[in-house]
Amino acid sequence: MSVSSEQKVDNGAVGHAPHPAPAAQKTSWWKDEAQESTRRNLGLVGVLLALFAIGAFIRPDLYSDADWVVNNIMVILTQAAAIGVITVGMTFVIIGGGIDLSVGALIALSGVWATTLATQSFGPVGMIFTAVAVGIGAGLVNGALVAYGKLVPFIATLAMLVAARGLAAQISGKQTQISTDTFINSLATTRPLGIPMLVIILLVVAGLGWVLLNRTTFGRRTVAIGGNPEAARLAGINVRGHTMLLYALSGLCCGIAAIMLTSLATSSQAAAAELYELDAIAAAIIGGTLLSGGRGTIVGSLFGVIVFSAITNLFAIANLPTEVQNMVKGAIIVVAVLLQQVRFSSITQFARRHGLTRAKPQT
Amino acid sequence: MTNPIPDTSRRRLLFGGTAIAAGALLTACTSNEQTPTPTQTKGADTENPNTAAGKAVTIGFSAPAADHGWIAAITNNAKAQAGAYKDVTFKQVEAGKDAAAQRAALDTLIAEKPDVIVLLPHDGKELNAFGLKAMEAGIPVVNLDRAFPDALAYRLQIKGDNYGMGVAAGHYIGKTLKAKNVASPIIGEIAGMDELELTQERSAGFKAALATYGFTVANRRAARFTADSGQKEAQNLLQALPKMDALWNHDDDQGIGVLAAITAANRSEFFMVGGAGSKKAIEDIAADKTVLKATVTYSPSMASSAISLARLIAQGRGMSDLVELQVPKEVILASETITKENASTYLKLGF
Amino acid sequence: MSEQAERGGDVVLKLSGVVKTFPGVRALDGVELEVRAGEVHCLLGQNGAGKSTLIKVLAGVHRPDSGDVQWLGEQVSFSGPQAAMKAGIATIYQELDLVDELSVAENIYLGHEPRSLGFVHKGQAARQARELLGRLGHGEIPAHRLVRSLPAAGKQIVSMARALSHSAKLIIMDEPSAVLAHDEVGNLFRIIRELTAQGIAVVYISHRLEEIREIGDRVTVLKDGRTSAVNLPARTTPTRDLVSRMTGRSIEYVFPPRPDTAPGEKLLEVRGLGRSGEFTGIDLDVHAGEIVGIAGLVGSGRSEVLETVFGARQAEAGTVVMDGRALPPGNVAAAVRAGLGMAPEERKSQALLLGQPIYRNMTLTNFSSYATAGFTDAGKEQAEASRVADTLELRPRDVRRAVRTLSGGNQQKVVVGRWLLGRTRLLLLDEPTRGVDVGARAELYQVIRDLAANGVGVLLVSSEVPEVLGLSDRVLVMREGRVVRTAPATDLSEEDVLDLVMAGSLTAATTEEVAA
Repeated sequence: MSVSSEQKVDNGAVGHAPHPAPAAQKTSWWKDEAQESTRRNLGLVGVLLALFAIGAFIRPDLYSDADWVVNNIMVILTQAAAIGVITVGMTFVIIGGGIDLSVGALIALSGVWATTLATQSFGPVGMIFTAVAVGIGAGLVNGALVAYGKLVPFIATLAMLVAARGLAAQISGKQTQISTDTFINSLATTRPLGIPMLVIILLVVAGLGWVLLNRTTFGRRTVAIGGNPEAARLAGINVRGHTMLLYALSGLCCGIAAIMLTSLATSSQAAAAELYELDAIAAAIIGGTLLSGGRGTIVGSLFGVIVFSAITNLFAIANLPTEVQNMVKGAIIVVAVLLQQVRFSSITQFARRHGLTRAKPQT
Repeated sequence: MTNPIPDTSRRRLLFGGTAIAAGALLTACTSNEQTPTPTQTKGADTENPNTAAGKAVTIGFSAPAADHGWIAAITNNAKAQAGAYKDVTFKQVEAGKDAAAQRAALDTLIAEKPDVIVLLPHDGKELNAFGLKAMEAGIPVVNLDRAFPDALAYRLQIKGDNYGMGVAAGHYIGKTLKAKNVASPIIGEIAGMDELELTQERSAGFKAALATYGFTVANRRAARFTADSGQKEAQNLLQALPKMDALWNHDDDQGIGVLAAITAANRSEFFMVGGAGSKKAIEDIAADKTVLKATVTYSPSMASSAISLARLIAQGRGMSDLVELQVPKEVILASETITKENASTYLKLGF
Repeated sequence: MSEQAERGGDVVLKLSGVVKTFPGVRALDGVELEVRAGEVHCLLGQNGAGKSTLIKVLAGVHRPDSGDVQWLGEQVSFSGPQAAMKAGIATIYQELDLVDELSVAENIYLGHEPRSLGFVHKGQAARQARELLGRLGHGEIPAHRLVRSLPAAGKQIVSMARALSHSAKLIIMDEPSAVLAHDEVGNLFRIIRELTAQGIAVVYISHRLEEIREIGDRVTVLKDGRTSAVNLPARTTPTRDLVSRMTGRSIEYVFPPRPDTAPGEKLLEVRGLGRSGEFTGIDLDVHAGEIVGIAGLVGSGRSEVLETVFGARQAEAGTVVMDGRALPPGNVAAAVRAGLGMAPEERKSQALLLGQPIYRNMTLTNFSSYATAGFTDAGKEQAEASRVADTLELRPRDVRRAVRTLSGGNQQKVVVGRWLLGRTRLLLLDEPTRGVDVGARAELYQVIRDLAANGVGVLLVSSEVPEVLGLSDRVLVMREGRVVRTAPATDLSEEDVLDLVMAGSLTAATTEEVAA
């Protein structure tokens, strides 16, 4: 049933105070959610440009060579590829109000499972199927523990992290398993149209992720559940079922990333993808995903991953030790989050002081 | 409103069926059965009187459970070598995940009164006290690779030489470049986990050896002993050094990734030296189709030797080539350089 | 006055002409209050009369816009809750503000631990805490126990011990009996009597007249942010007097006229609905086009009934039948499919995605129906939402605005609008006008009546009695988990309902008075 538009509510009946005049249809651009994330992404692009400038300053000999620069960008993107894929899954989980600490371990498990001699005998299709199935399966276990077992996501996925590494070590017999499959190995070396295949895979996954988040009912449910689980439940959304699917999605991304990493390293082992979970979470956070859920963008997360990858690359080119690089990474996470807070609250205050936005409604 | 129940149940059934089928397939996929790799053992040698069966002895053994190929090889080698002797009973205890767990496991081992204990401790310092205790109880202790600070805590110490590994790699690279008459070569280094002392020792040896030729390292990256981290660091190193003359990679396991990065970047103007001496690396060197031209060993074969020597200690015999009637107190393996020329002799020692 | 002779302490607190406004609301509009040492001073007033704001002014949470607050003979203006506490005014809020994961002693001394050089003297704190608990007659509560493990009554004792630890001279208790069982209330009163015997003044807020009669000395009545009566004798003022001073609120509630047509077919039939500890034996019907209201105090079980009908709580007994089909208990999705919709009490925490645009909030329950193969259609959603926004006179009209930028009334319209988009035929409204300013209420009333005119059944809960009476066709009055009266709205007066929810029945209260 619905009310037809002919029925006008009679609001002239009471002598109540008139409402504040409807705000101008053109909203102040920094208040708009979409613009807010655009600004954040522009900030990350600024960081990338700054990193490029620093590189050019340190090694003008390299940066003056156009071919080298293009190739270096491809290297940065290639190194962002596997982490980028899991960050897409991670972004969904975090927007949905959860967290997945098991992604690194699931890459190792999927990778190891897909490179056993038995699996390799099924060829590339068998390997890809195995990696993806293992990822989804483990993700479903995570999801079931969180949604139906009522475990805190942090604990459930932490348990999965430990268990999956253990299982991976068990399956591999603690050995590095070499991939002899030429198709899988060639993924890392082929460059259709000059773009590395792994980068193309990342772009496809991110593109699908963007559509899924912004254009489908699945994405809508994710935002609703993370933004206000009680409201989502009372709206008749199957919160638990959907939560389970979110972790499965993250697991699927791990399976894809496992194949990508196997292809890059032409091998797989139980210790692979060490601390990838932290990189993925950090990338999502500096990309503007709210750790408490309900807000986040795929594009922002992607920029976050690329920034980290570019930092690693710059430090190698500048021949600076890894420990300094890790300190800088930590600082960037803190600064990025601080900047976002300072900037938005101060701008809102500024706007309010100057009457640019409506006063916050009474609560 | 339609009743959704039959629909869901059919979907569930379908899903369940698929899941079970996938599960069955996946379970089959965990198998790694292959022709068993020959372990690094010393076979019966009729010329050597020490191989003749002697007093029956029990050897206790403990090594940490690690997910690295080298440690796995240590345990496999020890087991296989013990199996080669008819007079040896091999008793392995799980070392657990840290020093405390290993100590607890070893205490139960002492209670079983083995004739000798061979162990690769989680941490030499932390298990020093155990060594003392076992020695006091009259059980000789053979320390593998990670030294006890206290000389009273062990009967025999057998270990590799990390500094020597770096020196061997440095000399190989130095000599080769001198022979090619490269004046000021660009040398890269991909180290292992930087926070480990052994990584620092290896790099120090490498630097010192290169210095004798007047060479320095142009760029050094630290990976994590894993193939994927090796790939990542190598890819960046190759970007930083568009032209290179030589590269030393500390660890052959991470070297799989390093080689993959080099292949993907289509680079071949330099040569590479590996570290540790894995079977795959030795095969690659013998095949001579990659930039990998040599590797310097840090061989897990020391575990096999440790078992052999432990047996001799327990039986009160010495090493027959030496004048002394007992096994010496310390054995430090030389880091050997494997090249195409001698690869075939080392292949059986690869892990 | 005779009370002064009875409890003849000095005046400790005196308020005159206190005004406090919030955007759109004049919460306090000239309040007078006089509290003497050693007395129990009761505050009485309907929801929205300004009691909570007054408490917060006393506790230093709000600063009055104008007016005079005299504490111990001096004019004061507290800079914050800490300042008020230091001055000797302690407040025990309805939602006890204790830290569950700290021990009893730690809670009592939270923020003012006995310490030197930054080290807390745990032993001393525990000893003093035991002493305080002993003074309250509850020496058996272990000082080291985690507060989490205490029952509600125990927590309240801890709150009171905390107030005493500040050497409070005035303790404000906001509906302290609401969380207590009957025999625990007796103990509470014993403690209050001991406190007043020591010269401590107590400001006591309760809806239960019998409690006020038993423990109170004087009563001040609030209505519409003003004091409608001060210093009435608590024991002897006739109930009818008290009730009449609380009612007849001056704000013009303008309700749309009731239609002449009889309601349509029966939509909802609830029989014997029950949940232990919340409510029992609830029977109710809602017909198409009918507005049914439930009146009752907080804690009477009214919101719980609504949530159980909707399936957000699982029924333990009884049946909910919609259109002749029984709904599975505890299944919101099934209820929504059957055509039920609910606007919950806590709009922000239970219904809205504040950061999301209006249209997405409106389509939250049925965005799938605008989607093709899982792909949402933002254009269609916005068009539909705009159509409903027009109907509801939503301001601003731009449905792409984030909901958090809307006023309370417009946020409520978004929640109602959500169910208009779906095929909702029975709307459950829990406190639909909470936080909605007076002007916007009339619009909401009209919207609700229009919905009914279109054949939607409405089941409504409100703690504002005039709202229930003015808007509904039929009214159920609930008290302590039971329906005590069902009648057409026109047959009940505000006084009748207030009396029913507060005391049980007018006649009974009158007899008591005679007896007293």
